[in-house]
Amino acid sequence: MFKYVVRRVFQMIPVFIGVTLILFILRAPGVLPGDPVRMITGERGMTDALRQQIIEKHGLDQPLHRQYVIYLGNLLQGDLGESYQRGRAVTEIFADKLPNTLRLALAAIVIEGIVGVTAGIISAVRQYSFLDVLVTLSTSILVSVPVFWLGMLFQIFFGIKLKEWTGGAFYLPISQMSSAQFPDWAHMILPAITLASVSTAYVARIMRSQMLEAMGQDYIRTAEAKGLTRRAVTFRHALKNALIPVVTFVGIDFGVMMGGAILTETVFSWPGVGREIFLAVGQRDWPIVMGGVVIIVFLVMIINLLVDLSYALLDPRIRYGGGPE
Amino acid sequence: MSALLEVRDLATQFTTRDGIVRAVDGVSFTLDCGETLAIVGESGSGKSVTALSIMRLIQEPQGKVVSGQVLFKGDDILKLSDSKVRAIRGDRIAMIFQDPMTSLNPVFRVGRQIGESLILHKGMSRKEAFERAVELLDMVGIPHPRDRARDYPHQFSGGMRQRAMIAMALACDPDILIADEPTTALDVTIQAQILELMIEMQERTGAAIIMITHDLGVVADMADDVMVMYAGKQVEYGKADGVFYTPRHPYTWGLLDSLPRHDIDEKGALLPITGQPPSLINVPAGCAFHPRCPYAKDVCTTGTPVLTDVGEGHLAACHFSNDPEFQRRASQHPGEVA
Repeated sequence: MFKYVVRRVFQMIPVFIGVTLILFILRAPGVLPGDPVRMITGERGMTDALRQQIIEKHGLDQPLHRQYVIYLGNLLQGDLGESYQRGRAVTEIFADKLPNTLRLALAAIVIEGIVGVTAGIISAVRQYSFLDVLVTLSTSILVSVPVFWLGMLFQIFFGIKLKEWTGGAFYLPISQMSSAQFPDWAHMILPAITLASVSTAYVARIMRSQMLEAMGQDYIRTAEAKGLTRRAVTFRHALKNALIPVVTFVGIDFGVMMGGAILTETVFSWPGVGREIFLAVGQRDWPIVMGGVVIIVFLVMIINLLVDLSYALLDPRIRYGGGPE
Repeated sequence: MSALLEVRDLATQFTTRDGIVRAVDGVSFTLDCGETLAIVGESGSGKSVTALSIMRLIQEPQGKVVSGQVLFKGDDILKLSDSKVRAIRGDRIAMIFQDPMTSLNPVFRVGRQIGESLILHKGMSRKEAFERAVELLDMVGIPHPRDRARDYPHQFSGGMRQRAMIAMALACDPDILIADEPTTALDVTIQAQILELMIEMQERTGAAIIMITHDLGVVADMADDVMVMYAGKQVEYGKADGVFYTPRHPYTWGLLDSLPRHDIDEKGALLPITGQPPSLINVPAGCAFHPRCPYAKDVCTTGTPVLTDVGEGHLAACHFSNDPEFQRRASQHPGEVA
């Protein structure tokens, strides 16, 4: 087990090198349009001296490969550089933003887990019933709805159509304007539902199919032959087997949400990691883009490792050894 | 005194897209305390469905017991409430299934799975049930039962899993043990061990056994009564000696002829029953066996043979069961199974 974890941690190194390398190639002159220095200074009022000063300050006068080595060296020391635009350390910026992303992702995961699993179980237990058809149909629709569009629909509906009732609070859910009567967490409702929407549909569908598969297994008949109630058979014997793939999906999805919340965060002006990266790309603020991606990659890999380790708890057939001895 | 289990005219059907499958069609038999009944037949002859119908484990709504009675100690199981049937299942009537590799839940420890019915039916605590599970594992011949009870099914070999299944079935000391092809999925050497174990367990607990198998050899030295099924119907039923030594139905002859023989020095080839079992949706008219029967005559294609007594309670469903010519043919089959 310990050996396995160590091996997995070492496997992260090439991933980091690969990711940072790709990002460095993207910022090489001529690959993407836009000059970060101009973005900093603006079109007018730029003297050559000022320009030179900025270039030297951010080390942009060095050749790209040299910049890369310096970046990796700093990364090893936990230094992600300084934002071109904001004059703050990247680590500091994300220390502010990460908790917001984390809160939103956690809320979405809770929705996804509770709603998705429940819907999937109901759908499977009452196969072909009205509820099953409803779940199957709505999940089919939901997986094909673009997240940002759903978010905008929510805003129009709750923020504008229902303005009388909501006080417009859901229009800009995190702003303090005109929303004094709402508790803090209420601002999270719409973004979290939006972020959870597609995944919830997937969870419901995976849960349904896994549950149906489990219910058809021989051990279910064995359990019934013992005289257990339908409920005990379903929730004790079938559910634990059916949950294994669902937990995998939810775990990996949590990792995805760390970085993939860009659309939701942008639509709802949620001050999280995704939105920060989105803004930074527009401003060619490379240290923020790179720092954000590195943080996301790190989190995704840690979460994936935890998901893999959780298999061993859920499925006794899986044990992690230290590889061939 | 009434029998422990009396099945009368049981019929179970499944509705499929292609039509109605008459999986079990008018089966009747009795089982007394401590007795062993073997139900024999090819795949799809309705053996397993008969067993599942007795336990009322037929998956509804596709499947349904459409008629008949299953009298257990006088009560018709088919008419009992769900909760009363559950009280019988696993407690008074227990079941062992064919494939031990898939019949145990992979995510629960073996000891817990055995103890489950004890907690349910005997009101034991988890701890008591675990202790009893250890005893049961010991009884069915699993070494180091205390450690093994904490193992998961995948840590058991096939034979050990079937032993665990037997321990599970015997946990509540049932009156009837239904074993649905308990040895089919196992190695030949393990098969013998499992059969021996079942006989030993029967002697110890006095449980009646319904042994379902497609292999007459498996039940030869175990069964008191034998029921041969074909296409959902009983074709022959009687004391084991009668069915083995003086079989009266050509299908039974076929089953006996297709057994490998080791007792006689004959280099004769096995004689398989030619053809395939019929579709249970379109069962052949007349005697369902007639397309495969080497002795079939015109009457076999039109008239459905009824189960008739051919002597001493030995029943056979063949138009010629009481025909002297057939008797002679039958007498050429003595001691097929030693």
